[in-house]
Amino acid sequence: MRPGSDSRRSLPHLSVDVIAEGHAVMRQARIPLTPLGRLWAVPLLAGLLLAGCATRPPASDPDSVAEYQQNNDPAEPTNRRLYAVHQVIDQYALRPVAVGYRAVVPQPVRSGIRNVLGNLRTPVILVNDMLQGEPRRAGDTLGRFVINSTLGVGGIFDVARSQFGVAGHAEDYGQTLARWGVGEGPYLFIPVLGPSNPRDLVGFGLGILSDPLTWFGQGAVVNGLTWGRSGATVVDTRESLIEAIDNVNATSLDSYSTLRSAYRQRRNAEIRNEGDVGSPAAGGTGFGVGTGAYERR
Amino acid sequence: MNAIERRGLIGAALTLTAIAGLARPALAQADIGRAANFIQTTGQEMVAAVNDQSRDVAARRQRVAAILRRAVDVDGVGRFIIGRWWRQASAQEQQEYQKLFEETLIRNLSSRFGEYQGVRFSLGRSQQRTEDDVLVNTVIERPNMAPFSLDWRVAEIGGQPKIVDVIAEGTSLRLTQRSEYSSVIQRNNGSVGALLQAMRGQIQQMAAREGR
Repeated sequence: MRPGSDSRRSLPHLSVDVIAEGHAVMRQARIPLTPLGRLWAVPLLAGLLLAGCATRPPASDPDSVAEYQQNNDPAEPTNRRLYAVHQVIDQYALRPVAVGYRAVVPQPVRSGIRNVLGNLRTPVILVNDMLQGEPRRAGDTLGRFVINSTLGVGGIFDVARSQFGVAGHAEDYGQTLARWGVGEGPYLFIPVLGPSNPRDLVGFGLGILSDPLTWFGQGAVVNGLTWGRSGATVVDTRESLIEAIDNVNATSLDSYSTLRSAYRQRRNAEIRNEGDVGSPAAGGTGFGVGTGAYERR
Repeated sequence: MNAIERRGLIGAALTLTAIAGLARPALAQADIGRAANFIQTTGQEMVAAVNDQSRDVAARRQRVAAILRRAVDVDGVGRFIIGRWWRQASAQEQQEYQKLFEETLIRNLSSRFGEYQGVRFSLGRSQQRTEDDVLVNTVIERPNMAPFSLDWRVAEIGGQPKIVDVIAEGTSLRLTQRSEYSSVIQRNNGSVGALLQAMRGQIQQMAAREGR
């Protein structure tokens, strides 16, 4: 991009919201698709990783080399192409659907949907709490599941939070692998899924495989429910990120690198279990619901 | 080494540890208190400016900008963000960068905070000291919104506490911004001028927006 050539990107961007947005956007990663739908990513990735590599700066320029290593994005040209693809998909499909969903479905209903999706995520969160050796957090997760599934009418109402003061948190296998000492590997941008890396991608796959609902029953009804859950998660997540992504697109001089930096920072904070401020709501999927920096509408 | 000597060494080590343990928190507490106080005061000023119904939007924004100019180490943050490219910039470019950066930062923060009608803020639970500075946690509440937390990194600049970074849920403003600016320069073959041009465009857009 030539600076200043695209008016959309020449807006102010240095703001608290943008930070919030940056990490909110990265929560776009790991949107669960249905089991079959998820498989497409594998060959696509393999092919793309081979397709384009960034040029390593010469050793005579230590600053550049340091930055190259810090960015840890050897496939940057390919990633940028995929990001461009994602932006088109987002502009014509994801965002319009999310905006429509917000316009048509009233806020209390959307909250209920978000809570149900979050509740459905709790088995995977619980397993990861345990794998990370966090008995207290595991207890919170288990307690929330029991209370919200019963008193909360199948998870529609987050009574564990509102009545018992037990707020939810997100966890996923990517974080568990990190706690076990697995490195993140090179940065990846995957259309629809968002920012990622090999570790988090493996974690994403494990999340699907270990989700009891992936293996529960069969037939048209179950398939329909599975697809419905995946679709609802994508729409709900995108809805929670409307302002966040709009702002990054409008204000960053280079939204690709903004997202890359923000994703890393956010993931590291998640791995250290810092700042569980928001509810895990849709983020029951591991990416939360934004910072709450925007008015509910 | 005989047993007595060893015991003596262990004793000395323990004593040293104990002294270090006592001295450290005392020093840290003083700094943390000062930084937290500074954020508390600045935050209250900001909230008062933002919620001042007797002024119109533009006047509120101006007051917020004045508070920010005082509270933020604008030069230091700007230098941090441009990072290694500073040395590659000409003296004239450096000067222009500092000017554009200040305008971008202040305009942007003040237009954001200026919209936070009905905002309330309070100091959060964790205040911690890092190597060079203090992280002060605050909780921001706005009507109809879930509260969210912001961490302010406060350093002593010329004997005064100043804000050097804002962190929202683990994401630092200055780190994210550094990555972005560097990327713009790099993708324009290492031209700092290209970044300045982009920043100028950005400021024009901001001005047009605020003029509405």
